[in-house]
Amino acid sequence: MTKYLIKRILHGLVSVVIVVAIVMVLIYSLLDRNLIFAMDPVYKQLGNNQRTTYQYRRWKEYGYIDYVPYADWMQAMVQNGEIDEDTRSAAVSIGRTEKNDSEAAQEFIARFGEYYTSRGYQIVRLNAVMASPKKVASGGQQQLFAWKNRPLITRLVGYFTGLIKVDNIHAVPGELEGKRGLTFTLHDPACGGRFSPAIIGNGTQHKYLLYFDGRFPFIHQNLVSINLGKSYTVNTGVDVSETMSASQGSYVTSTVTYPTGLTEMSADDLHTATWVADSRTASLVNEERFTDDYTQVSTVKGGMSKIGYSFVIGIISVLLSYLLGVPLGILMSRKKDRLLDKIGTVYIVFIIAVPSLAYIFLFKAIGFRMGLPTTFDMEKNSWVMFVLPIVSLALPQIATLMKWLRRYMIDQMNADYVKFARSGGLSEPEIFSRHILKNAAIPLVHGIPASVLGSLVGAIITERVYVVPGAGNLLTKAINNYDNGVIVGVTLFYALLSVISIILGDVLMSMVDPRISFTSKSR
Amino acid sequence: MNKQQIPDLSNLNLSEEQLFSHVDHSDLESEKITAPRYSYWRSVFRVFFRKRVNIVILSLFALVLAFTYIYPALFPYDPYANLMDAGAKHLLPGAAMDKFGHSIHWILGSGASGQSTFDAVWFGSRISITMAFICAAINMVIGIIVGAVWGFSKRVDIVMTEVYNIIGNVPYILFISVLVLIFSAGFWTMVFALTVTGWLTIAYFIRTQVIIIRDREYNLASRCLGTPIGRIARKNILPFMTSVIVTLAATEIPSYISYEVFLSYIGMGMSDMSLGRLIYQSENAMLTPGWQFEFWSPVVVASIITVVLYVVGQNLGDASDPRTHM
Repeated sequence: MTKYLIKRILHGLVSVVIVVAIVMVLIYSLLDRNLIFAMDPVYKQLGNNQRTTYQYRRWKEYGYIDYVPYADWMQAMVQNGEIDEDTRSAAVSIGRTEKNDSEAAQEFIARFGEYYTSRGYQIVRLNAVMASPKKVASGGQQQLFAWKNRPLITRLVGYFTGLIKVDNIHAVPGELEGKRGLTFTLHDPACGGRFSPAIIGNGTQHKYLLYFDGRFPFIHQNLVSINLGKSYTVNTGVDVSETMSASQGSYVTSTVTYPTGLTEMSADDLHTATWVADSRTASLVNEERFTDDYTQVSTVKGGMSKIGYSFVIGIISVLLSYLLGVPLGILMSRKKDRLLDKIGTVYIVFIIAVPSLAYIFLFKAIGFRMGLPTTFDMEKNSWVMFVLPIVSLALPQIATLMKWLRRYMIDQMNADYVKFARSGGLSEPEIFSRHILKNAAIPLVHGIPASVLGSLVGAIITERVYVVPGAGNLLTKAINNYDNGVIVGVTLFYALLSVISIILGDVLMSMVDPRISFTSKSR
Repeated sequence: MNKQQIPDLSNLNLSEEQLFSHVDHSDLESEKITAPRYSYWRSVFRVFFRKRVNIVILSLFALVLAFTYIYPALFPYDPYANLMDAGAKHLLPGAAMDKFGHSIHWILGSGASGQSTFDAVWFGSRISITMAFICAAINMVIGIIVGAVWGFSKRVDIVMTEVYNIIGNVPYILFISVLVLIFSAGFWTMVFALTVTGWLTIAYFIRTQVIIIRDREYNLASRCLGTPIGRIARKNILPFMTSVIVTLAATEIPSYISYEVFLSYIGMGMSDMSLGRLIYQSENAMLTPGWQFEFWSPVVVASIITVVLYVVGQNLGDASDPRTHM
């Protein structure tokens, strides 16, 4: 069994990788990359050469291409120690046209060209655009850069190797105050010196690698972080996993004592501090509060995360649908062709045939008449606003469960073992609950992990109609904003969930029904 | 059952030779099947029309088709005819009829640009239903052929199952939106987007059905007798699958309409004035008090269309199951 499971998991992971590869081909190679500028106000303001370089810079940020401007290359050479600062400043400025280059520049431009052409880059040189013989037009400065399309394999390997990041004491480059290393403390300074064990790092990206606090699940870690992909437009600069799991809503302030001893009301969560180079000296605000460069903190907010809202709504509706759908399905099969069965069938036909949009709006209208809130508001902490989204999600699920359970039970009703049980003198309720249900429920059991994990994904229409700040709309939002990082990240997340839920479904099914076995030996 | 009364033979005063005659054994005659003649499709229709409710639904279906295909051809529809008339917009049926006179065009009132909602609905449903039929036809044909091969060949099964696992995990919305962005958001793009991977789920369904039937005893016997695989597929398995296929088509066709509505709602639909786009555009009216009717009328008509299509298909599927022909 274990061997089989490992094989299945490996198989699943391979297909996840292929899925990500397909998605990358779809969005990076097939889509017109000029589309990202359609809604870009900066792009419209820029002109001439500046617009061209802006294009390439954005494409690099969105992950389409590798792009190196001449000046950046020179800067990198200085940092590597290949040339000194004086040579750089002499050669870094290029002429308006190739003829106007200074001698020093000519040499390095040739080297730049050689270096990048050999690596498959294309060298682009844009001559200055002149408004008058003396004056350069707005944005018309001369430009020199190299670029190339990022190949799929590099992109894929880069993505998967950067997926899981383990924080270490050499994560931060350059000089550091104090010694690199990890310290274990029983009295966490961020918790006001109370008893609270924590592991604090110096030289790591996060300051607190392991800590306790008063929020669920009480023990937190920053040692291993998952990078699904950075967002560019939906949630600028933030990773997808963070976008999905960070709390939302308004700030929750509490008394915070900063490392310098300053105490004030703030929503800052000191446990999330990460290192930003020279940030303490850069701003007075940071200097007043922090004693090192671990200054970037996230804030505590009152609402749940995107996944949190989706999951709460999803899981309650799954529970409801099983609690209601299973008894109703049994009842329908027991009263086959009677009034109850007919009413149930009408309901099932309604849910299957009517567009989902139509019945969700119908539920909304009915809910509105009953005085239920029809829009979601994170600031109001009432449970009433959850009612309509949950009902809208549960009712179609109930219909599907009823439909399949009724079908399976009726199929089983003519089986020989049922006739045998009846001839043995068992009562009808006994036959239904002890014998038929057990057999009919096996295919349904297979779907339980999928529906539970599926509630993490969220529901697109329901969340849109009731304005729920959930995860369901992330993908559509990302597609509409051409946010490639989010698209890839969300796809990976969905694919992983679906692979896991199928495997879990098979395991669950073999646990419920001993006849089903996945190992070839016992078969 | 009309039981014939056995006549009393002793009253006829006939000799035994006259009463009974000898019948020779005939090889030809003994091969004939004396059961009543059975025609599959005639039985399907007999069972279908035995239920009175099916006649009602079928006439509703004919009505929907007539309104979808004949009505827009008879009355040309111009959505912007009343654009400049400020008093023609967002009218309830009563007000619209007072303004434009009592005609069938205004029984659902008027929309945001003063157009007749009734005309708009049927104009949209022509696009939506045509799209659903074309998508279903393409997906069903490819799906059934691939599914049959997939179910029969073990080697194909290994490859196709992997393909299914992979393609099934690529978000469907992504496929569609990428295709819509590459091409234009037109009718054929939508058809292409809905069929490029849509056949896979049907093929998978058919594959499972084929596997269930493939190893039944009668097929085993047929194979032992040397029937070629092609004939087994056509003569032994396909008839068994007819009701499954009809039932599947019954769920597929309305689902494309629903899917199109859904895609339009999230802003990825086609640019033609389909049912989905109509609902999407009238969503704003839903939020304005007094204008809700404008939103509900296309929604209700779309629901009626999908329900009628679904029920006709389901009942036809039931009737095409030979087990109901007794």
